[in-house]
Amino acid sequence: MAEPPFESPVSTPGPTGAALTLIDESASPKLVVRRFPDGPDGPDVAFGRAAPVGGALVVGIRPDEWWVLGDGNVDMDPALTMVDLTHGRAQFRLTGPAATTALETVCSLDWSDPMMPNGAATSASVAKVICDVVRDDRDGVASYLLLVDRSFAQYLFDALRDAAGQPSLR
Amino acid sequence: MARPDSNGRRLPSLPTEVINRNEPITFSWDGQPITGYQGDTITSALTAAGVDVMGRSLKYHRPRGLLTADYWDPNTIVQVGDEPNVRAGHRRIEAGMEVGPQNVWPSLRFDVRAVNDRFGPFLRAGFYYRTFMRPQRLWPVYERILAQFAPGGEVDPETPHSHHDKRYAHPDVVVAGGGPAGMAAALTAAQAGAQVMLVEHEPLLGGHLRWGDADDIGIADELEAAVRDAGVEVLSNSTVTGRYEDNWVAIVQRSLPLSGERLIKARAKVLVVAPGLIERPYVFAGNDRPGVVLSGAVRRLVNMYAVKPGSRAVVFSANPEGDATASVLEQAGIEIARLVDGRQGETVAAAHGSGRGIAHRVSGVELGDGTTVDADLLVIAVGWTAPTSLLNMAGDRPVYDPTTARFFPGGPPDNVLATGGISGDGTLDELVDHGRATGRLAAERAGVVAHRLRTLTTRSRPVEDPEPPWPGDHRLPLTRDPHPELFRSSTHGLVDFSEDISSKDLMAAASEGYDSVELVKRFTTATMGPAQGKLETVNTVAVLAEARGESIAEVGTTVWRPPFAPITLGALAGRVFEPTRVSSIQPWHNRHGATAILAGQWIRPDHYGDPQAEVRNVRENVGIIDVTPLGKLDLRGPDVPHLLGLLYTNKWMQLPVGGVRYGMMCAEDGVVLDDGVTGRLTDDHYIMTTTSSGAATVWEWAEMWLQTERPDWHVHVTPVTTAYTSINVAGPRSRQLVERVVDGIDLSPEAFAYMQVRRGTVAGVAQCFMWRIGFTGELSFELHVPAGHGLHVWEALLDAGADLGVQPFGLEAQRIMRLEKGHFIVGQDTDALTTAPSTGMTGLIKTDKNDFAGRPELVWALEPEARAGAPLVVAIQTTDPTIVPPEASQIVRPGTNEILGRITSSRFSPTLGRSVSLGQVQPEVAAPGSVLTIQLIGGDRIPARVMEHHAHVDPEGERLRG
Repeated sequence: MAEPPFESPVSTPGPTGAALTLIDESASPKLVVRRFPDGPDGPDVAFGRAAPVGGALVVGIRPDEWWVLGDGNVDMDPALTMVDLTHGRAQFRLTGPAATTALETVCSLDWSDPMMPNGAATSASVAKVICDVVRDDRDGVASYLLLVDRSFAQYLFDALRDAAGQPSLR
Repeated sequence: MARPDSNGRRLPSLPTEVINRNEPITFSWDGQPITGYQGDTITSALTAAGVDVMGRSLKYHRPRGLLTADYWDPNTIVQVGDEPNVRAGHRRIEAGMEVGPQNVWPSLRFDVRAVNDRFGPFLRAGFYYRTFMRPQRLWPVYERILAQFAPGGEVDPETPHSHHDKRYAHPDVVVAGGGPAGMAAALTAAQAGAQVMLVEHEPLLGGHLRWGDADDIGIADELEAAVRDAGVEVLSNSTVTGRYEDNWVAIVQRSLPLSGERLIKARAKVLVVAPGLIERPYVFAGNDRPGVVLSGAVRRLVNMYAVKPGSRAVVFSANPEGDATASVLEQAGIEIARLVDGRQGETVAAAHGSGRGIAHRVSGVELGDGTTVDADLLVIAVGWTAPTSLLNMAGDRPVYDPTTARFFPGGPPDNVLATGGISGDGTLDELVDHGRATGRLAAERAGVVAHRLRTLTTRSRPVEDPEPPWPGDHRLPLTRDPHPELFRSSTHGLVDFSEDISSKDLMAAASEGYDSVELVKRFTTATMGPAQGKLETVNTVAVLAEARGESIAEVGTTVWRPPFAPITLGALAGRVFEPTRVSSIQPWHNRHGATAILAGQWIRPDHYGDPQAEVRNVRENVGIIDVTPLGKLDLRGPDVPHLLGLLYTNKWMQLPVGGVRYGMMCAEDGVVLDDGVTGRLTDDHYIMTTTSSGAATVWEWAEMWLQTERPDWHVHVTPVTTAYTSINVAGPRSRQLVERVVDGIDLSPEAFAYMQVRRGTVAGVAQCFMWRIGFTGELSFELHVPAGHGLHVWEALLDAGADLGVQPFGLEAQRIMRLEKGHFIVGQDTDALTTAPSTGMTGLIKTDKNDFAGRPELVWALEPEARAGAPLVVAIQTTDPTIVPPEASQIVRPGTNEILGRITSSRFSPTLGRSVSLGQVQPEVAAPGSVLTIQLIGGDRIPARVMEHHAHVDPEGERLRG
């Protein structure tokens, strides 16, 4: 029997306007990689930063912990701990000139360019849910990847959609 | 219906007016239609329509008319529709708006409670404290009566919830105040490269220029255009209501379309305080009579709204603004009956009225020399209050300057700068220059703060350049124009218009010993009303100084606290975030009529219509339940057995690959923290399950031990609760069903025994694991499949098992079955005092292990003397099988009210046809066969019996091991 298609954790479409788009990318592969303090090195991406490596996006999300997002060929020591969380975390992409303003309505962090430049990554409480957020611009336009526990996916997606619909972004 | 200009109070068109005469707007006032123009405030429209009395005072219910004609006007707080406490001097009229007075009964014209005015001498400050303190037992009665006199508007409980946004911002500079100095500061800061928010209380930028002449307005327009061109974020009709630690600045924004107030939580690198000055009333007899107004109110009404506030005026002026107001009145065709010059020692002593009640408008003004002048308008221009609130909140203590009769900043912290009228006087150019210098300094300092923040975070690029030096303050100070100290005349009058506190009240309080400014404030409630000191603080201090025979500087001032302006509860609440979690099967549950229940943050199917039938189907056929919320932790590394041995009370070093074991976790005090099973998938890879509500706690618990006590252990813990959709297949036909969807796993009892785990493919989905355990006590297979395929597997099971009678079952059926089986639930059958021995599972407590969390306490808890006083979890059955004792029912000693325990879980068992319960009881009645007395809600007592085993059904466990 062939493996069935991946079921999206959200059942509603996101906004697709020029100012802001919200897309569910949950089916994209997501591998969490961790190293022990006395173990082999992990990917050469610093904590708090993200960089493309071998076709994937590698994110230093916590000390000695990385996300490897997307299909790619990232050379890693097998002694590192690798857990496939493709099914465990939903992944959304929030893109557009209004993306930062939308985030400002649901999260208290400073999303300005100097503090959260392209290629930066952080954990944050977004709409009261813990997320990992990566600034991953598209063609010079602000774009954020948000990773959240799959069970919160529909809630967070709705919260972001609602934020995108706030009066100042309409 | 009153036309906007029907009674001669609306002036011909003026170049300075902000109203649109092409857009008449009709609204109602106290039930009567009123027409104004677009741009009118409620106050200006009512004044134009000839309405002099717009409310009643708090305590004496004296008729009140406009005083300041702006947001701070204490006399014009009205009800708009179902919205109470609306500032009529600020709120613009809208078509159909229903406006009415507050604090009146039965009507504004005839207010019964105005009788209080007659008894004024008996209602002095402190009246309530003195009168209603004793006897103390009557306070509830007093409270109910006094509540009837509570001021303010009314909120209809049926009012629909309004929508409130919330926003976080991190600007370089927040400028509080959009007058000329504030605009200049914002402009210069933005031109220097700072990200700037300019917050203006009024709908229009410009400050006092907006009620000036055409030249003033031209300058304001020019500055505003430059501000907007420079990229400043302008928040008009918004107020900085508070400044907190680290320049956490609260901004309430009222200008959003389609939304109520919005709270902006801004973390400003530098805050510029430029609120201007607030005009101060004068204390004299009759100073609250309709027709007594401040000079700013006159200029606002005439210049902005083209409304005449009266026809014959006395102007009491002590400054150029008052003189300018006299000119404005003359230009508007209002006769100046007398110009009283406060700089020359002249004064007013009283405002007399023409009649009683509602018609009590000024008709004559008694001057200090005893003469009386006929007039229907008395204009006061005797000085200013510096609204130092935001500076106070930053730790600044303002300093009084007697030469200018107002307070000035004492020395705010480095990241707070003041400019504009609050800092001094001068020409418009001088104010603008000071604003520019302030903006420049703010941008420079914000740059240094930004550098520090970038250096502190790992997210920003590595910061190579050294921190620039902290810019010094080299601004030229503004001059200070001399101003006479004019606070009170020879007569007494109101000091606090909001609270009906007179100068006589303040002096009486001082004579009773309440002579510090903070004490007199609290005793009299002066400065504690809606105006919050904007108009009355300086006069309060001045009257107190007079009573004490000291200077104002010696008396000092009260501390202004947030909020600077009122904020709605809706704005404070903002967007309501209530995160909820769902499994990947929840859409199916919704489509198939499941009744949802909120369990923690999880939305779960409680049942699909008949939980008792669901139980019977599981006991007789096979059922499936979505148990995705079951907490799951992925444990990897060679030291996992050590971690398990540390967290659980039992032993884990010998668990084989493919094995599953139940464990109980205790906190360091021996109290049960959580429980669950853990299975070993490979040599170094385990999956731990926790209770649904305990997943996060157990993860943190494990990380705490690993990071603080055992950092040398090689274990990585990863939460994977929703990486897997978890489905429990339970019932005598469960093996038959699972066999139909599983590939590569021998499900025979010999190959896959109870408490074992296997990995394989389910319904075509690889990377699944399953174990033979179950909460229901039935033969069970718990399938854990990658969540992106969870719904597929759920539907595959239903399709494959139709002929086996497979049906979904919900949480309620599971609760019944686990109770039938005697499985306790941590947090329900245990509590915050339940140590592991109290669960009756002492065999799981291996004190011969070297160490585990809670071991020292548990060693003691297992001693006989400790056991003697600790309750036990036991199974209980009532003598009458039809009675289901409610959970939390008390178990008592017969013939007394002594509590011996309580029912913790209770249901009717469809399997046994009777009620079954778990409970906690004292050891003396915990032995099997002990007879208990259960007290039901309502007081009835019923007999019950302690059972031999926790399990009411299948105590030998034959079903689940089948």
